[in-house]
Amino acid sequence: MKPHDDELIAMLIGEAKPSIDLQRWLDSDRGQRELAEYRRALNGLHRLYGNVAGAMAPRAAYYDSITTPIGRVFVATTETGLVRVSFHQSESAFASDLRQQLGTDVVKSAAKTKAVVHQIRDYFAGRRRAFDLQTDLSHVTPFQRRVLLATAQVPPGRVVSYGDIAKRIGRPRGSRAVGQALGHNPIPIVIPCHRIVAAGGKLGGYTGGLTIKKKLLRLEGALAANA
Amino acid sequence: MNPPSSFAEFAERHRSDILRYLVRLLGNEPDAQDACQDAFLHAQRAFARLTPDSNERAWLYRIATNGALNAIRRRSRLAGRTVEVDLDTLPASVSASAEQRQELRAVADAVQTLPPRQRAALMLRQFHDMNYGEIAATVGGNQATARANVYQAIKKLRAALGGTR
Repeated sequence: MKPHDDELIAMLIGEAKPSIDLQRWLDSDRGQRELAEYRRALNGLHRLYGNVAGAMAPRAAYYDSITTPIGRVFVATTETGLVRVSFHQSESAFASDLRQQLGTDVVKSAAKTKAVVHQIRDYFAGRRRAFDLQTDLSHVTPFQRRVLLATAQVPPGRVVSYGDIAKRIGRPRGSRAVGQALGHNPIPIVIPCHRIVAAGGKLGGYTGGLTIKKKLLRLEGALAANA
Repeated sequence: MNPPSSFAEFAERHRSDILRYLVRLLGNEPDAQDACQDAFLHAQRAFARLTPDSNERAWLYRIATNGALNAIRRRSRLAGRTVEVDLDTLPASVSASAEQRQELRAVADAVQTLPPRQRAALMLRQFHDMNYGEIAATVGGNQATARANVYQAIKKLRAALGGTR
């Protein structure tokens, strides 16, 4: 009766690419409807069970902002360490996302964010190349954490490919998954996802926009000033 | 990953992921905290027998899963239901509107009715980065049953939730 369910689920949970046959079916009204129904169910599951980190002793997150050459940058830290770096966002959107994603109280605090603000300011002024900060990666998936920790090993002034990171974490064919994990890097700049580029010298993507990726790489001397 | 040199290091490395897994399985934080404590006590006693080449992660998840399935069985004998999802202990509901809360409640109800092994397989696949071999090693059965459990669970969720709104 429903011959497409398994293939559709495989596609939605990232186990297989859709076949031509499935793609054609997905264009039909019935296909559209079933796709939407599966999506709704999986989205609900992820909303409720994706982040259950608040279950570990609820804590507060503290944030502040820094004016930098790439615009206003928001940073947030928990008792564990740096938990967010964000650009292109208003203060209210940043604070409300943070509250929702971490499930904690969110408090503006210059005192609690002093170390990270100081280091990011120095980084953009060219006085600092590497960060020395505790991070809080308790809210990401184990796979994403592996990707982020491997990315943190890439030194300033260097770039490596998505495939290189995939190899380093023992998933040699996982460069696409690596790209996706880095697209959701909760602490860009400090975990230098801008140093990960596509194969063949292309820059690849960047959540903050390619202009920012280029600026960061130029600042670190990995990209010529006129590139 | 290097083999852990001590149980403390081992526990530190895995505790937060195991606790999260148990919250997903049991549906609320207090039960998950209890089950987590039990799992690590059990693991500590058996830790010395863990050989360097065994998969420590799957081993620990198996201990946690067995404990949780037992807790679920006990609970269903006592209360006639398997999981008691307490939305207030899950962060998603913290800043949810009344309408969003209703949707989350529907998700919780749907997950609550999944057979425990299906629920475990689903959570391990979706949130704990496990392949079907690892899921089989954790929950029991073979890779084919592990996959069937995940797919069955998703089909049931779709039947329960796909039509809302």
